[in-house]
Amino acid sequence: MADEFLVFDHVTKRFGALTAVDDVSFSIKKGEFFSLLGPSGCGKTTLLRMVGGFERPDSGRIYLDGKDITDAPPNMRRVHTVFQNYALFPTMTIWDNIAFSLRLAKKPKAEIEESVDAILEMIRMSDHAWKYPSQLSGGQKQRVAIARALVDRPQVLLLDEPLAALDLKLRQHMLLELDTIHDQVGITFVYVTHDQGEAMSLSDRIAVMNLGKVEQLDTAAKIYEAPRSSFVAAFIGDTNFLVGEIVSTEGDYCTIKVEGLGAVSAYNDRKLDVGRKVHLSVRPEKIRVTLNPPPPEKGAGINIFTAEVTDVIYQGVYTKYWLKSGGRSMSALKPHSRFLLDQESITWKDRVYLWWHPDDGYMVENFSPMDVSLIQDPPAPKESSTP
Amino acid sequence: MKRSKFAVVVLGLVMVFLYLPIVVLVANSFNEAKFGGEWAGFTFKWYKALFSSQNHAIWEAFQRSIIVATFATFASCVIGTTAAVALHRWKGRLQSIHYGLIYTPLVMPEILMGISLLMMFTAAGIGCGLTTIWIAHTTFCVSYVAMTVLARLQDFDDRITEAAYDLGAGPFYAFFHVVLPILLPGIVAGGLLAFTLSIDDFVITFFVTGPGADTLPLKIYSMIKHSRQMPVINSLSTLMLLMTCLLVAASRLVANRRRRVRTR
Amino acid sequence: MTRSGRWAEWGVSLPSFVWLTVFFVVPTLIVLSIAFHAPSSDGGFASGFTMETWKAVVRTPYKEIVWRTIWISAVTTAVCILLSLPCAYSIARMNTRWRAIVAGLIMLPFWTSFIVRVFAWRTLLNPEGFLQHVLIALGLADASVSLNYNSGAILVVSVYSFLPFAIMPIYTAAEKFDFSLMEAARDLGARSFFAFRKIFLPGVKRGVVSAILMVFIPAIGSYVIPDLVGGRDSELIGNKIYQRTFPDRNLPHASALAAVMGFSVLLPLAWVAWMIKRQDAREAKRLAEATARKLSGGAA
Repeated sequence: MADEFLVFDHVTKRFGALTAVDDVSFSIKKGEFFSLLGPSGCGKTTLLRMVGGFERPDSGRIYLDGKDITDAPPNMRRVHTVFQNYALFPTMTIWDNIAFSLRLAKKPKAEIEESVDAILEMIRMSDHAWKYPSQLSGGQKQRVAIARALVDRPQVLLLDEPLAALDLKLRQHMLLELDTIHDQVGITFVYVTHDQGEAMSLSDRIAVMNLGKVEQLDTAAKIYEAPRSSFVAAFIGDTNFLVGEIVSTEGDYCTIKVEGLGAVSAYNDRKLDVGRKVHLSVRPEKIRVTLNPPPPEKGAGINIFTAEVTDVIYQGVYTKYWLKSGGRSMSALKPHSRFLLDQESITWKDRVYLWWHPDDGYMVENFSPMDVSLIQDPPAPKESSTP
Repeated sequence: MKRSKFAVVVLGLVMVFLYLPIVVLVANSFNEAKFGGEWAGFTFKWYKALFSSQNHAIWEAFQRSIIVATFATFASCVIGTTAAVALHRWKGRLQSIHYGLIYTPLVMPEILMGISLLMMFTAAGIGCGLTTIWIAHTTFCVSYVAMTVLARLQDFDDRITEAAYDLGAGPFYAFFHVVLPILLPGIVAGGLLAFTLSIDDFVITFFVTGPGADTLPLKIYSMIKHSRQMPVINSLSTLMLLMTCLLVAASRLVANRRRRVRTR
Repeated sequence: MTRSGRWAEWGVSLPSFVWLTVFFVVPTLIVLSIAFHAPSSDGGFASGFTMETWKAVVRTPYKEIVWRTIWISAVTTAVCILLSLPCAYSIARMNTRWRAIVAGLIMLPFWTSFIVRVFAWRTLLNPEGFLQHVLIALGLADASVSLNYNSGAILVVSVYSFLPFAIMPIYTAAEKFDFSLMEAARDLGARSFFAFRKIFLPGVKRGVVSAILMVFIPAIGSYVIPDLVGGRDSELIGNKIYQRTFPDRNLPHASALAAVMGFSVLLPLAWVAWMIKRQDAREAKRLAEATARKLSGGAA
């Protein structure tokens, strides 16, 4: 039962001609920090609003703790929402905002005071209890919105892009805070975001959504390392897609003939047969770029190609290289170490070796050419400015 | 850039134009001369006359105006607010008809509303009096209140209502505890407008009034028409102007203070 | 929409719907229908259907009155707009503090009694009044000239009464206007009046349109002003409606005149609504085309 706490059973929701949520089925575990991740318009917010009771699915059911809540009005389900713009009641003090649900539940006065004071303590806002929402900063409003939704211990807390309105530093701070709050209260959190960083750093599991469907539901690491579709690979992080055909298999590995590049070795976890057309995703940070060929002890069977550097973008944490190999453009990331000592840096027009281990490529199951547009394009060639 | 001198001069002349009759009127209320063409010396006698028992009828009319305006304001605030909520909340065919119904009275000349209400009351055999005045005033005030509240609803965040439902509130609790307090400044502004329009209305009242139901504007009109006690009208008008200015200043002060408290 | 949602919609809409139907729509229809009956001797209307009343409306003396009303309203509107444009312009160019003060001062007369303001003008224009004395002292007039009780007096008092309604919408539009555009035009060599006409005027167009309606509509419906400062040969529709309703007790004629007044108001209103709709449609089309171009360009 705990594994199937919040269940979506073939849920579909249409707005006119648009299918916002398309036959979605999955379940969320009790106490889990669960994220719905996807670009705007992918249906994640609609799905959340159906749990909150603000939208009703056209077909399918939603179950919470074994009970069908599909048709229950929002005030009849023990599910609370933290809205993107906080939606604090402007005419009430912080204290009254938080006490709202307890007063509605007609809790005894002493109990209300105790609960509100306790949660104010938890979010470190006790000094601001008698202020009005307009007197608070964005981060403070955010904490009050969370406290207001948590104070009567709902079964599920829904968070709709709660950090979108905050600036970067505050966002990073609130991420830690959210994590702490989740650990403290042990309530199931369903978190909607379009920011992969937020989702990956907080979630136990993530459902990546696109065009109303769940593309993949897994842990953050699985989603990043073993993306099932080209959409997941391209939307989360950056990647290179290599298209080819399997020409031979040896045990857990296979060799793919990629046009322009040649034979590429890859891990064949799905045991695909010779002759299959496949799409290999290789993330830029898995690709090593060196002036000299890799030392032999790096092992046989790694993929090695020669390439020319077409562009270099220094980005602080690492440098991004755009490389051309056999007429094919690829990107690679190189982290820095001993930068000042290591003067022999790679630069524009250098001939280099690029190499990666067969385990670092992943063959996606579903490929859509549209998803390629999600990957960052190489900068336009600047032929006139030859040094 | 050089400011356009021409435009500023026009503005100055317009201000003189707007305030000249008012200034002359106030001055005449202290003028000994009966026809106010020349200054014949300072006096308070028109004010004394205003408060004498001879002019008791003026104060009765004033009282009636206040009563009608109060009831019309109350009724139009209730009806206008529900109308605005409906117009904001739903967007179907029913509401586009509803909007037309609210909007048209705003552009209808008063005299049309006056004559049509009169004819309906006559046709229905309803005798005219304070009740018919109240009905007429409520009818045109509803649209003004609805529009004022609707403007306020435009910046209203619907997520706030959702948040109330989400935390367990039913539609009525959410409306009275969350939505209404937020709308209150808009309703008060609409109510203030309704009160002013009702107190000031002449044309519609003129058509639907009955025996012994004269409001203050009607009383003033009949005094003007019959050229009776013109200087007393001056003193009465001066007092009304003073009252209006004080009210406007007070409402400004309250609004400013509230803003300061909010932003502190 | 769900069934409970529709019930809620009806429930919330009901009070205003019922009130305005009973006390606005029904009375208006009654007035229209009475115009198709003949007057009866007891001051009511006869039962048979007739077009005689409508025929009377297009004949003398009604025809002159209708035209005079439209003519005076149009001139009032024109004068109000011409005065409002420089006023709104100069208020919008002031700093925030002064803007609030001047805009407040312009609206203040609106909050005072209308009848008192018209009365103030009646005294001002009186043969014994302040203006006559000033004009005689300046040698611009003599005692025989009457300032009161003519079309000119109606015009002056109408402009006075409706001017704030013309200034405010234009000022609201001018407040949002980006004055750096004017500076750019001046910078490029435009004369200031040229910049005003070519840059400022199109920028506040919608404000001007609503100002026109805000003045023209009440001017058409005016009753108090012609009654108190107008004369025997400057009657407007409003006076005639009153006269036919009360002293003459000719309800069909009063109703037909009311219908004529209603149409004179609705026609310009419908025209403006249609213009705005057309312009919006044109802008929406342009936007859609631009988006489509961008999308197809992006895909190529």
